[in-house]
Amino acid sequence: MPSGTPILAVSGLRFAYGDIVAIDGVDLTVPPGRIGLVGANGAGKTTLLKILLGVLPPAAGSVSVLGHPLEHGAIEIRSRVGWMPEGECLPPDQTAADFLGYAAELGGLPPRAARQRASDVLGLVGLHEERFRYIGEFSTGMKQRAKLAQAIVHDPELVLLDEPTAGLDPDGREEMLDLVTRLEDFGINAVISSHVLTDIERTCDWVIMLDGGHVLRSGPLSDLSTTDEAELEVIGDLDAVAAAAERLGAVVQREGSSLVITRSDGDAFDIARDAVVAAGAAIRRLGARRTTLEDVFLGAGGGDG
Amino acid sequence: MAEGVVFDLGYRPHEGERLGRSGARRALYKDGVRRVLGLRRKARRKVFPIALIGTALVPALFFVALGVIAGEFDQAATLFDHPQYFDLTGSMALVFIALASGELLIPDRVHGTLQVYASRPLTTIDYLIGRAAALATVVIGFLWLPHVVLFLGRAWVSSEGFGSYVTAEAEVLLTTLLASVGYFAAFAPLAFAVASVSKRASLAAGVFLGIVTISGPTSAALVDAGFPSMGLFSLQHHPGYVKDWIMSSSTHSWIPERAGYEPILSVAVILTVAVASWLVVLFRQRRST
Repeated sequence: MPSGTPILAVSGLRFAYGDIVAIDGVDLTVPPGRIGLVGANGAGKTTLLKILLGVLPPAAGSVSVLGHPLEHGAIEIRSRVGWMPEGECLPPDQTAADFLGYAAELGGLPPRAARQRASDVLGLVGLHEERFRYIGEFSTGMKQRAKLAQAIVHDPELVLLDEPTAGLDPDGREEMLDLVTRLEDFGINAVISSHVLTDIERTCDWVIMLDGGHVLRSGPLSDLSTTDEAELEVIGDLDAVAAAAERLGAVVQREGSSLVITRSDGDAFDIARDAVVAAGAAIRRLGARRTTLEDVFLGAGGGDG
Repeated sequence: MAEGVVFDLGYRPHEGERLGRSGARRALYKDGVRRVLGLRRKARRKVFPIALIGTALVPALFFVALGVIAGEFDQAATLFDHPQYFDLTGSMALVFIALASGELLIPDRVHGTLQVYASRPLTTIDYLIGRAAALATVVIGFLWLPHVVLFLGRAWVSSEGFGSYVTAEAEVLLTTLLASVGYFAAFAPLAFAVASVSKRASLAAGVFLGIVTISGPTSAALVDAGFPSMGLFSLQHHPGYVKDWIMSSSTHSWIPERAGYEPILSVAVILTVAVASWLVVLFRQRRST
């Protein structure tokens, strides 16, 4: 794929399960990197991933994955894409090494290279010691790691991860998020679907918000999470600082022990500084207010109903 | 105390050859053969296929050994000429197909492994052909191998000499192979169709065996009661009738024969059931994916 080519380009995409419209008029252009796909249950995340993989045929619109149009056939795309489904996908009666080797061969690798890759990838996901155990004997966390391993064992350029932290305890979740973060070091782009917004905040650099089959927002996470609002903590009388800021023309909102200062026609940081001076207080912390993905998601109307 | 050193080689991308769809198909076929034979699975998975193959080979090995010890024997007196051999292995193949079909299709669906196939460069038809080809290899091999052993054994003890026997009787290898294909075509598609709608391999095997074995006596009774067309529903008897036709023998009073039908009609029934079963499997598989 030439550098600069979007990993996903979707235009006018529509898909319905019978009368139920799951994806409706989706347009997306997504650059390489780690892409978060967020939305409530039923928002259309899994449906969109299955369309990208060529498993579900779109009712309308065009889809291009890694610069390859889906209309020209999904086989070419699948050679270069990995898929980690949300549910079970591992045979319990095979060892991890055997299944991973087989999964690599199914991805088009020659048998010898497949066995080597299976061993390497099981090491990368922390299952090297367990590679000759039957998958049926694995814990939930180990199965999730094996699922990730099968998705990357054929060295894809893009991997689609559907709820990779589902069912994991806090430690397992941390390990999985670390692995997902490392995918970029491996040169693998990732689309990570999740309804856990903090997981996306932690692992992704681009986010697509889906709700009811529509895209609410799509853009760099940094653009979505930074604002021109100042967040101020002071040593001294917080109410006096708030009153001073309001006298200077700012809109002030109190959040716990902090003030969020907004000024429509100027720099909120100047107001914060002047208000602190006017109230005779001192600055404990002053910085740009960072919104969470949840704020943005709810602000954009996501999760209604 | 010696201290171990861990070398983190990091991620090494695959820079070699990629075989694409053809490699995926080969892998699928190989996996199917291994699964049917229980290879690279727990020991208990190997017991049944190996025991069945062993049992099928025992008569051939016995008569070859007898021939080696006692010299050339009267083939008719052994009651185990090639056509009769199918009466033993045909029934065993029926049980083998019943169990192997479920083992090939059901776990992939129940354990969600179909999602892995869906993410690889394979189509649904690739998947089904790979599975069917694996079963065909093992079943046809299972049916044909004893004949090859028997044939080579007889050639070995033949008074005409090995080469002369092989030259004179080589047609047997072809007719036994064709008959083996006939048994596979008669049973495997229906077994696949039953497996495609079941969640448990044992249940699918039971239902398939029930359908096939009950079809024999039921159609026989109906044919005897004056409904000759019911002879066509004797699923169990069609491959044997066709086998006798191919091998120019008569080992049984097959029900379609008793009903007055020519063997070619049994071939047509086998093909019709195979096509209908294939369509059921294809429909079910597309829904499952």
